[in-house]
Amino acid sequence: MLRLLLQEFRSRRNAIIGWGIGLCFFPVVYVGLYPSLADQMASFQEIMDLAIYQALGISMASFEGYMASTVTNLVPLILCIYGVINGTGTLAGEEDSGRLELIVALPIPRWQIVTVKAMALGVALLLILAIAAAGAALTLVAIGNQVETTVTPLGLFFNLLAAWPLAMAVGMISLWLGTFSPSRRTAAMLATVVVLASYLGSNLAGMITSLEGIQKIFLFHYYEASAEALKGGQQTGNLLVLLAVALVAFGGAVLFFQIRDLTIGAWPWQRGKIPGPEAGG
Amino acid sequence: MADYAIETHGLSVYYGRHRGILDVNLRVEKGEVFGFLGPNGAGKTTTQRVLMDIIRPTAGEARMFGRDCQKESVAARDRVGYLPGELSLYDSMKVREFFEMYFSLQRSNNDPGHWRTLSERLQLDTSRRIGQLSRGNKQKVGVVAAFMNKPDLLILDEPTTGLDPLVQQTVMELVREANGAGATVFFSSHILPEVQAVCDRVGIIREGQLVATERVEDLTTQHFKRIRFGFATVPPDNAFTQDGVTVLARDGQGLTLEIHKDLDQVMERAAALGITDIETIPVSLEEIFLAYYGKGNGGRDA
Repeated sequence: MLRLLLQEFRSRRNAIIGWGIGLCFFPVVYVGLYPSLADQMASFQEIMDLAIYQALGISMASFEGYMASTVTNLVPLILCIYGVINGTGTLAGEEDSGRLELIVALPIPRWQIVTVKAMALGVALLLILAIAAAGAALTLVAIGNQVETTVTPLGLFFNLLAAWPLAMAVGMISLWLGTFSPSRRTAAMLATVVVLASYLGSNLAGMITSLEGIQKIFLFHYYEASAEALKGGQQTGNLLVLLAVALVAFGGAVLFFQIRDLTIGAWPWQRGKIPGPEAGG
Repeated sequence: MADYAIETHGLSVYYGRHRGILDVNLRVEKGEVFGFLGPNGAGKTTTQRVLMDIIRPTAGEARMFGRDCQKESVAARDRVGYLPGELSLYDSMKVREFFEMYFSLQRSNNDPGHWRTLSERLQLDTSRRIGQLSRGNKQKVGVVAAFMNKPDLLILDEPTTGLDPLVQQTVMELVREANGAGATVFFSSHILPEVQAVCDRVGIIREGQLVATERVEDLTTQHFKRIRFGFATVPPDNAFTQDGVTVLARDGQGLTLEIHKDLDQVMERAAALGITDIETIPVSLEEIFLAYYGKGNGGRDA
């Protein structure tokens, strides 16, 4: 199984480097630009008080607010997009392309195949995030003397790294949807809806009192992109909830992959039935 | 000990309400080469995928070496080499890397260097990336992957697809050698002369149902006969009008007949007309196959 795991890592190598550098570029630019934008931020605050910006979790009054509105708000969202792409591409994509047939035909239990691929996906998400977080932290080191903040580079690094359980939950949900849906396209569409609904729903529910009750159903609720979280760190309990969601979704992926008729492209309830006499034989 | 390498009982697969295969009862004996024939969509690939537990049957059961292909799927697939009909590989990998990975994932590892020998025989460059290979060379990769572990059972779905005639011949040699070493081979093909050349028995599947399972020589000698008679005089036009007999050609005093039944009556009638010459014309498997899928009549019943 080690060779399969290595192959899974190898197949993601370019994506890890590409997404890592791409995602790194984003916080590096935002953190690096802050000293030159700091004076203008205060004048934006009136606009930022508008509901639409609050819904998106944007507030620029301080370095922490600026970081929360840009870097810690959007880096997890972008990483979740990779989670959707790779999570649905891992089993569903390989099934669509036909590559899975040779692997599944080997004397390996299906649960092991799912486990190896889930591990590779998890490591890929962690490495991409680590590259981006390191980029953000190093940029903060570089501009540290120009910024008034209590956020340390290491604090920023770990705060971004704490988005891994969120990305993992999305990745595993995508993996599970890939074992459940008729095609990768359908799985990707459903997973994208989950991510966007969760992102916007979490922000809206945090803003509208009547929606507070449903806030906990949104995954993004459990990763706090706020100035307070940047200063105080993420809540361990929330991260454990996300890991539990990832674990349950992984279990779902194992279960549905175990019973899946590969190469057919059907929902689980569309399993074949021998037609009765009324169906014309 | 299981008596058969492959055994299916009432095997049916439906895709939703669409028929894949229906009530397939098949027995492939250990050590034989079994050809599985049928046109596209007849159910050949579906049957092979059920054996490999890629899809699950709607009804019935399948066993390989006595092990249930679904309930004991991992054990059943052990010692089985499989070549899918729609081969898709990891394009970013080098051929050598793919073989090393694929070999390491087998449970019973025989002869780690066998894939090198096979690659040399098929003239496959293992240092190249799979994505750079032609369709034929990718097919060679699939062939090597199926044979690399010297399996006890080879399940090959159209193994010579996309290969040039010389390589096709090499693949058929590999089939014969594997069989000579004791392996059972279950393969589907559209190239009937190669099936006839290597198979002990064939199964013909039509619209999801197994309509015939016979030894190749029985199929080609007993199914119907083609006989050319030479007569002392020109035979009358209505000399052979009985059911099951078709006049294929007339050449003066000669007559070529295709006889599906009542051979003794045909011989009696011919003798009465005065036979001067008689010649049995060999019937190829291809012609038998075409008879099963006869033009416009939906095929013959088995």
